[in-house]
Amino acid sequence: MRPSVLVVGEAVHGQLSGPSREALNVARSLAGSEGRVTGLLIGHGLAAASAEMATLGTDRVRVVEDAALTSATCSTLAAIVRAEVEGAQVSVVLLTGSVRYRELAGRLAARWDASVATGATELSPTEGGGLRVARPVFGGRATEELDLGGPRCVVALRPHAFPPASTTAPAAPVERRASPPFPTGNAPAPKVSALESTEVTGGPSLGDATIVVSGGRGLRAPENFRLVEELAASLGAAVGASRAVTDAGWRPGSYQVGQTGRSVAPQLYVAVGISGAIQHVVGMVSSRVIVAINSDAQAPIFRVADYGIVGDLFAIVPALTKEIRKVRGLS
Amino acid sequence: MEIVVLVKPVPDAESRLRPNAGGTELDGEGIKWVLSGYDESAVEQALLLKAAVPGSSVRCISFGPAPRTEEVLRASVALGCDRATWVERPVGMPADPLLCARVLREALRKYPHDLILAGKQAGDDEEGIVPSALAELLGVESFGSVVDLRWHAEEKRFRFQCVLDSGSEKVEAAGPLLIGLQQAWNDPRTATLPNILRSRKATIDRLPWSDVAPLLGAFSAGRTTSQRFRLPPPRTGARLIDYQSPEEAAEKLVKILREEAKVFP
Ligand SMILES: Cc1cc2nc3c(=O)[nH]c(=O)nc-3n(C[C@H](O)[C@H](O)[C@H](O)COP(=O)(O)OP(=O)(O)OC[C@H]3O[C@@H](n4cnc5c(N)ncnc54)[C@H](O)[C@@H]3O)c2cc1C
Repeated sequence: MRPSVLVVGEAVHGQLSGPSREALNVARSLAGSEGRVTGLLIGHGLAAASAEMATLGTDRVRVVEDAALTSATCSTLAAIVRAEVEGAQVSVVLLTGSVRYRELAGRLAARWDASVATGATELSPTEGGGLRVARPVFGGRATEELDLGGPRCVVALRPHAFPPASTTAPAAPVERRASPPFPTGNAPAPKVSALESTEVTGGPSLGDATIVVSGGRGLRAPENFRLVEELAASLGAAVGASRAVTDAGWRPGSYQVGQTGRSVAPQLYVAVGISGAIQHVVGMVSSRVIVAINSDAQAPIFRVADYGIVGDLFAIVPALTKEIRKVRGLS
Repeated sequence: MEIVVLVKPVPDAESRLRPNAGGTELDGEGIKWVLSGYDESAVEQALLLKAAVPGSSVRCISFGPAPRTEEVLRASVALGCDRATWVERPVGMPADPLLCARVLREALRKYPHDLILAGKQAGDDEEGIVPSALAELLGVESFGSVVDLRWHAEEKRFRFQCVLDSGSEKVEAAGPLLIGLQQAWNDPRTATLPNILRSRKATIDRLPWSDVAPLLGAFSAGRTTSQRFRLPPPRTGARLIDYQSPEEAAEKLVKILREEAKVFP
């Protein structure tokens, strides 16, 4: 028997997020043609995202919409999902791997008494009605394979580990659900401000990007960091940095990739003037393709990279930006 | 303020990872166990709050096997935690985050807590499940990826920021509260030698598994039925691009990225 799956998707700037499309694809392959796939969106301003969700292999879409939900706490989200799960008779809940939804995974599993894993890069049903999940651990230096017992499983997927769902017709019905009042244990309830965007470059965010270009101390001075930003812009990539750069204050801490910064796993990671210290490497080694540009042929980054250019970044990077702009028809 | 910090031992970043024959566990040799990085920040933040709020105390708690769990608790005491509780986990039991959360809930029944701090995720499995699952079981609000955590005594509220994927939120909330910490105000301190020596004699409160398991009933087995590790195929080192000019290097790399690696059209 194939499981019925609930996908809790997310909208970013009103559009369905890339990782939500990926989760819908995984849901459909788990459910096959027997199991039912329900898409769920919680928040505000969800018209476009829910319409898209309805065409991505779902059997139905449910929308819990309320202006107050844009700053909902995780316990409120968990209560809403738990109520939907009850009504939809699902056995698997898939979540995107965003910061907030990974937190939701733990809450929901505790509330629903489900088995749970986050950061999944492989997923398949087991004989006993559970799931077998693989997930990178130790910063991608090893993979952990878990058997999650059924009949209730909650899994948050790692962004970009799966292809997105393709469009299907006809669109599934979209049902609006009332947002029930959810009292919290705390009195008074926490006050959560509106999200302040840190997308300074206007490009994709680090965690969500399919390409990341990071710069290190090899850039020598903060004003040179624009070389990295221009390369990133030509690729439509997010910008990252080593700790040498964030510690020196050339760029804010939110740029930092590594053990004490963000872990990223894009399709392509380009390291510019970064030596490849282990604390940096653990944050990017799960990237599918790694390119290093460094003047020192002995730099450890070349041991984890797939492709390398040994040379002066001040010459190579502008040439690379120019070439990419050319092939992408940008200039 | 009564502060509880959840801590976990993890292999340090330079440890050699080698699964045993069945892949069920990592070979203990070559692994140096240390306090998980974000947990270090959580301990640091707890100690900073303790110093800022008179009459506070900090207890660290860990659920894990001997001897590493006791060692990281001692390390936390050496950093300045007042008390430590070790809930013993039988060796060889698959690590199950929900089981861990349920065990910690039982342990927490004994201790008053206005604030529970944890690292936002562990340095080894990177799951980040235990804090929010525990908060759910305790019926308290929780926030992850937190920076800049402050206590405002006049309003009896915590104020902090949550760093999300594309921005950050400012939050004000009353305790009891569970916080998954991303960063303390300071880099984590290191323990002084006299404190390390003193921590060796410190009393660690023990909760044996045989006392905890009956409290969990049907949950004592966990929901994860097996756990195996495998290593990715070793990266063979970069293919270096031959070139005469920067333009040639750029052209060759872009061709490879498009045609061979297929990372962009
Ligand atoms: C507990 C702990 C946690 C840490 N966490 C992190 C973390 O999360 N993230 C992180 O990044 N680091 C982290 N670090 C720091 C890490 O150990 C390194 O110090 C840091 O990553 C180095 O940054 P870098 O590669 O930019 O600088 P460097 O190591 O100084 O490397 C600069 C590189 O630039 C190259 N270069 C110089 N000039 C040129 C040129 N003209 N053209 C091309 N290449 C050039 C050099 O050959 C060199 O390889 C941590 C350290 C500790 C102890």
